[in-house]
Amino acid sequence: MSTAAALSAVLAVGLITYGSRAGLIVFLADRPLPVSVTRALRYVGPAVLSALTVNLIAGGKGASGVEGAEVAAIAVCIVVAWATRNLIAALGAGMVTLWVVLALL
Amino acid sequence: MATDPARTTNDPLTSDAFRRAIPLFIPAIPFALVLGVAITESAMPTGVAWSTNIVVFAGAAQLATVSLAATATWFTLVATAAVINLRHVMYSAALSPRFTDQPRWFRWVGPFFLIDQLFALSSVRDELSSRDWRRFYLTAGIFFFVSWTLTVTLGMLVGSTIPTAWRLDVAPAIMFAGLVVLGLTNRPGVVAAVTGAGVCFLALDVPNNGGILVGAISGVAAGYLADLAQSRHTADATGAS
Repeated sequence: MSTAAALSAVLAVGLITYGSRAGLIVFLADRPLPVSVTRALRYVGPAVLSALTVNLIAGGKGASGVEGAEVAAIAVCIVVAWATRNLIAALGAGMVTLWVVLALL
Repeated sequence: MATDPARTTNDPLTSDAFRRAIPLFIPAIPFALVLGVAITESAMPTGVAWSTNIVVFAGAAQLATVSLAATATWFTLVATAAVINLRHVMYSAALSPRFTDQPRWFRWVGPFFLIDQLFALSSVRDELSSRDWRRFYLTAGIFFFVSWTLTVTLGMLVGSTIPTAWRLDVAPAIMFAGLVVLGLTNRPGVVAAVTGAGVCFLALDVPNNGGILVGAISGVAAGYLADLAQSRHTADATGAS
């Protein structure tokens, strides 16, 4: 990615981020969101972050870019996060799983 | 910044803000370090990737931006970060009543700092006067901003010394998986996450990494429908409908 493309992407993301935070405060103060919108917004986080996880694992190479060790690491991370509600423990367990499986394969 | 800012001030409101903000920042430290490493490995020029701290200041969107630069088109990258940030609209909606009687400068400056942690802290302080709430919000917000930027920069220094055999390039994906799980509070959330991941996997061959957006939209739709079904079910069960 060229410097100009990267810089304009970062500026665009920055503007959109600020807009999503400031929109209702600066421009539409006191106009509550419709119930259906807030209901849908609640599921944006889990939907996009899980899709992003899959995409990053594939690394732009389609399903063939998914390594067994990565799948194992993600699976362990999910279980540990579920059981402990602790992000540090989940990240640590995922990375250790990755190293162990890579060493074994 | 001193190691214990709470002790550097005698003002009760300021020290209260630090006392509440510090424990919330600690769990974000590994995230910031992972982001720092991802910045050094980004396909973007390092300085530009680092500038996301100042320009964007939103961990998940920053990590997506610097990680996707290698494979995604400009549009997919920006659109993905935009979708990740949609949750801020909820925060903005929830806090907007506290901003109506604030000075104009604060209505413009305040939202910049509105990360998840600051929302969690400031949305539960209804007892504070407008002026005190503003000071509390800004103190905690600037603390998060400065600590975040410093910790990400530290991650960049650490990351450049770690051998590639450690495969820290996988850390962002693992981080996002953990964030998904910690963010799940109900069954429709699980439906949204599983649908988002499953559809994105099936759509991996969609050009320009468009599978992320296809997966995200499908996941939101599935979560929304599951939520509707669940609340209808609950309403039937209690006879409230």
